[in-house]
Parts: sequence; structure tokens; C-alpha cells
Amino acid sequence: MSDPVAQLVFLIIKAVLMPVVIVLMVAFIIFFERKFAGFFQGRVGPTYLGPWGSFQSFGDIIKLLSKEDLIPSRADKPVFRLAPYIIFIPAFLVMAVLPFGPVGGEPNLFGYRFDYVIANFDAGLVLFLALGAISVYGVVLAGWSSNSNFSLLGGLRAGAQMISYELAMGFSVVGVMLMANSMSLVDIVNGQSGNFWNWYFIPQVVGGLIFFIATLAELNRTPFDLAEAEQELVAGYLTEYSGMRFGLFFFAEYVNLVVVSGILSTLYLGGWRAPLEVLDFIPGPIWLFAKICALVFLYMWVRWTIFRYRYNQLMSVGWKVLLPLSIVNLVVTAIVVSVVG
Amino acid sequence: MGLRDVVKKAVFVDILRGMSVTGTYFVADKVTVEYPKEKLQTYPRFRGAQALLTDPATGDTKCVACMLCATVCPSQCISIVGEQTTDGRSRPATFDLDLSRCIFCGLCEEVCPMAAIVMTRVYELATYDKNDFFLTKEWLVANQVNAHQELFARPADGER
Repeated sequence: MSDPVAQLVFLIIKAVLMPVVIVLMVAFIIFFERKFAGFFQGRVGPTYLGPWGSFQSFGDIIKLLSKEDLIPSRADKPVFRLAPYIIFIPAFLVMAVLPFGPVGGEPNLFGYRFDYVIANFDAGLVLFLALGAISVYGVVLAGWSSNSNFSLLGGLRAGAQMISYELAMGFSVVGVMLMANSMSLVDIVNGQSGNFWNWYFIPQVVGGLIFFIATLAELNRTPFDLAEAEQELVAGYLTEYSGMRFGLFFFAEYVNLVVVSGILSTLYLGGWRAPLEVLDFIPGPIWLFAKICALVFLYMWVRWTIFRYRYNQLMSVGWKVLLPLSIVNLVVTAIVVSVVG
Repeated sequence: MGLRDVVKKAVFVDILRGMSVTGTYFVADKVTVEYPKEKLQTYPRFRGAQALLTDPATGDTKCVACMLCATVCPSQCISIVGEQTTDGRSRPATFDLDLSRCIFCGLCEEVCPMAAIVMTRVYELATYDKNDFFLTKEWLVANQVNAHQELFARPADGER
């Protein structure tokens, strides 16, 4: 087998395995979200289905599949059908650029070189930002096409919120780009080699926090879940969706959670690298998995602790605090990098 | 906004304090009672479905069919037909209680001069058949196993 053929085979294997792994992770993350939601509120969460209630999300899927797929008669039907996929597909596409182990170098598998990334894409970070921006269309179109007041308001809120937080997110990421001197996620992880004090979260602490807060808004999670604010908007842009179409939105939300946790750990927490060099014998995918799990837990903790921001508070935090801070962070990083590096 | 507030917000003091609260709940013992598997003990004065107590000596009901409970009942759910025994004592021939109308106020228990009708700890009364709410004398007598033990020793008004 020549090397290009082997690379193609590896690519197909990776492209099949990665979504499967993420889908299984998501199924259990949905369960843990409900379990931990209970724990944070002094309850026990789901307990009935399977050991410790752990098959709860499979029960959810069966329930959603068996429900009637209702489309409102005055809805814009093609757009209504399209909207879930506009959110769902970009969420999966980002995984292609996420490195989960060493890339390049010597042959390491049956005499062939196995890259632990699906696409070693030079502008991977830009692809992440671009796909994040596309998923806004899914939310806005879902809100618009439902032809319902609640959905429209939710879609509008989501549009305004995601666009304003994307700016701060983009600027905070530029700091990492400058430090790694690359927009490729593979190079960014390579720039954080060594022990955990070489990771970017120490020099980029402001940027990292801004990125974390912006991803909270990007993921539509509390305290920035205004787009689906249950108490005011029923479920926002999801109001008119039922059955598996709702399930797709719900699922995409958690795929996004995993992917964003992966990006966050890649940008600021060393990606697949071990915190100490002596721990390098544990393979990279396990470290990335552990970091994703820790971050997902942090996202859940924040979600079940902080309550929703009011709309004007959300906007003023985004435009008056996060955006200026991220620009200051970018300027300081640029000066430091050009003077030192 | 003073400098103090800015610093407090910059290091997320309030948010971290809130997260420590939820974190405490995360590890603390859970308050949930998983109802069908485990049930809470009701309090002694809990007012569940009624029971008619019997006299342990004779085995007959303590009730003398004086109709006070049927009279005082705000929702008029009790209907009694009295009869005379051969030794001249009066007792209920039928004692019917429509539980679907009962408001569990406990007035029947309070007014009873013979301490014969009592409220019990039975609260799992859901049923698929409305006729099950129509409690007969036999049901009420059988239900006394669920009555609070203190109520058995309660004297009738005349003995006080």
C-alpha cells in the first residue's frame, strides 16, 4: 500500500470514528447534564433507566423519534425544514480541524504516518469562527420560518447576541494566533509544548476568560440563554419545533458544547498535551478527552449556578466590557510578541 | 462604580461565591425522597381517609349513629342509616362516605362524641374507578389498622 492510499484509508477511518465518538459522548453528556443539574440543586436527577439512570438520553431519543413531526401551517416550510441542519452540520464540521494527538513526524502505525487530525488545515481557527457564524443563521432562520411571536423574538435575540459576542471572541483568539504565529490548530498545540506553564492560558488569561464567556453566549447556555429563555419566550426559536427536529437542535447544541470545549482546550489548555512532560506516556486523545470533560463540567456548573442576564445587560457586557478588553488584550499581546519574539 | 466593585467583578467574586454554593450542594446529601420506592412517615395528626374504630371488647363499632358527623360535614359526604340492636343500643346499619367529596377537614373526627370516626395516615387513594371513592362501613372498619395508635385509647365524651 503506497503512502497516499494509506493516508486516504486513515482519513476515512478518522472521519467515521470521530463523529461516532462525539455522538456517544454527547449522548452521555446529555445524561450528565440532567444528572448534574439535579446534583447542583440538591436533587438526584434521572435514576430509572439503566444503571444510575445512565441510559436516559437513549430514552429521550426514542421519545423524540416517536413523536409527531408537527410543522405549523403558516410556517415557511422549506426554511423550517432546513434550519436544524444549518446548526447541526457546522457543529460537526469543526471537528475536522481539531487535533487530538501528534501530527506529522516519523511513521508511527504499521510503517505509515498516522496524523491525529482529520484535516491539517492552515486556517483552522478561521474555519471554526466561520462555522460558528453560520450556525447563527440556523437559529435566526428557525425563528423566522416558524411564523410565531416567541420564535421570532428568540431568533432576533440570538442573532444580536451571537453577532456581538462573536466580535469579542474573534479578537480574543487573535492573541493566541499571534503567540503561535499560526492560525492552524496543529501549530497552536505545538506552540504549547512542554509543561502546563507553557500553555497559553497563562499569558492569555484575559483572552481566555473572554473566549470562555463569549462561548457561553455562542452556545446559548445560561447566563446567556436569552434566545430560548423558557420563562419569557416558551423556548424561543425552538417553540414550534417538535419530535426529532427539536431533537436535532438539542443534539447540535451539545455537539457544539463538545466541540467548543475541544477548541477551548486546544487554544488555551495545551490541547492533547499532558500537563507535565513526565505524563507523556498517556496518549494524546485521552488527555484531550479529559480536558473536554473537565470543561463540559465547568460549563454545566456555570449553567446551573448563574441566572440569565437581562437583554440590555447582555448587550452592555458584550459591547462595553468584553470587546474593549479583548482589543486591549490583542494590542498588548501584539506589542509583547513583537518586542520579545 | 468604585474601584472596589471593578476589582470584584474582574475576579468574578460573586460568581465564584455562587459556584461554591452550588458546588456544596453537588457533593451534599440529596433531599429527594424517591416516592414509590421510599415513603415519608406521616405526622400523627395527618388527615387521610377516615376509619371507624371498633370496641376491642365487643368487636362492634364505637359509632352510635348520632349523625353529628353527617351534620357537621361541610361537604355533606357522610350518610348514615341507624338501627337498634336487641339490647337497646343504637348503631349504624350503613355508614357511607363519599371520598370524592370529602375535603379532609377532620371535623367529623373532632365532633364525634364516641371517638369512633378518626382520620388515618392513608393518602394513596388514587384509583381508576370513581366507585372506589364510595367508602362503605366495612371499608372504614377495615381501615382502622391504619389509624394512629393514640386514637384508640382516646375516651369518648361521656367518660371524660
